[in-house]
Amino acid sequence: MARITFTGNVQPHVPCPTETIPGDSVADALGTYFEHHPLARGYVLDDQGAVRRHMVILVDGIPIRDRARLSDALARDSEVFVFQALSGG
Amino acid sequence: MPALTEKHRQRYDRQFRLGDIGEAGQRKLLGSSVLVIGLGGLGCPAAIYLTAAGVGRIVINDFDTVELSNLTRQIGYGTEQVRQSKVDSMRDHLLHLNPDANVESVGHVMEADELQRRVAEADVVVDCTDNFSTRFAINAACLAAGTPWVSAAAIRFEAQLTTYHPRDAQSPCYRCLYPEGTEAAESCLAEGVLGPLVGTAGCVQAIETLKLLLGIGRSLVGRLLLFDAMQMSWHEIRLKRDPGCPACGDSPQAATS
Repeated sequence: MARITFTGNVQPHVPCPTETIPGDSVADALGTYFEHHPLARGYVLDDQGAVRRHMVILVDGIPIRDRARLSDALARDSEVFVFQALSGG
Repeated sequence: MPALTEKHRQRYDRQFRLGDIGEAGQRKLLGSSVLVIGLGGLGCPAAIYLTAAGVGRIVINDFDTVELSNLTRQIGYGTEQVRQSKVDSMRDHLLHLNPDANVESVGHVMEADELQRRVAEADVVVDCTDNFSTRFAINAACLAAGTPWVSAAAIRFEAQLTTYHPRDAQSPCYRCLYPEGTEAAESCLAEGVLGPLVGTAGCVQAIETLKLLLGIGRSLVGRLLLFDAMQMSWHEIRLKRDPGCPACGDSPQAATS
């Protein structure tokens, strides 16, 4: 069961509450999550299902490697954190 | 380390009364060198507080000129500095604040060789830039030199901060967190940014830099701080070094990436 959390500043724009979801990979868990919260999908993924270039998905503190298919494995107690990369200064 | 004069004792009195700083810490700051890259909403407060704190040598870098629209957040400048060079204006401001400071201004975009040299000369680099390509270049230079750097970014009501320390085996680098090709979806130009929000982030960068120079406290290495000013909340995300990182991993593909 992976715990999926979105950065707080996304939540006013797209409903994306923290949820604990089963899944062996990021694709599995986020696939289920997006069934519950379909508006969040387009915020994170493009029309090919790849992670948008301004988004970062961390699994247990490390960004996922497979940004095209999200095949990175999850442990039973993984923490998945989704946030937007910022560069403004 | 430089000796403290009576003027130093008066100026920095409230600071070296802090037990974790003391006279030895103040002398350490006076003997330190910091490179501040970018003199916008982050760089203004960071450079000002570091100079006020008595960091002995500050190198400031920005190629841009002051615009009227900068003045909501870029607190090193006034209306009379509009259209003037940011580094020259900031240098004047810093020397007015602390005439003892050794301030060097670099008013052009640094190419890789110069960036590498200046990063190697600094004890800490403060990343106050506004684009990913410069941040990747700072990451490469800091990895090569082993120089720690404090990074922040902000937009609208939100900011992100962390510290990278190449000599700490547990520290991730910028490439661990952001893959090549990362792009900003939004800019402050288009989306706006709240002045005190980015100022807060710049102040946190100054605090973190002082801690690194002094060798005190717990640094932000391995932690990403997310500040949401709308909710007035701070959130902390744990970051790990990625052994597969192409820049700092166990088999780096290119030292400059």
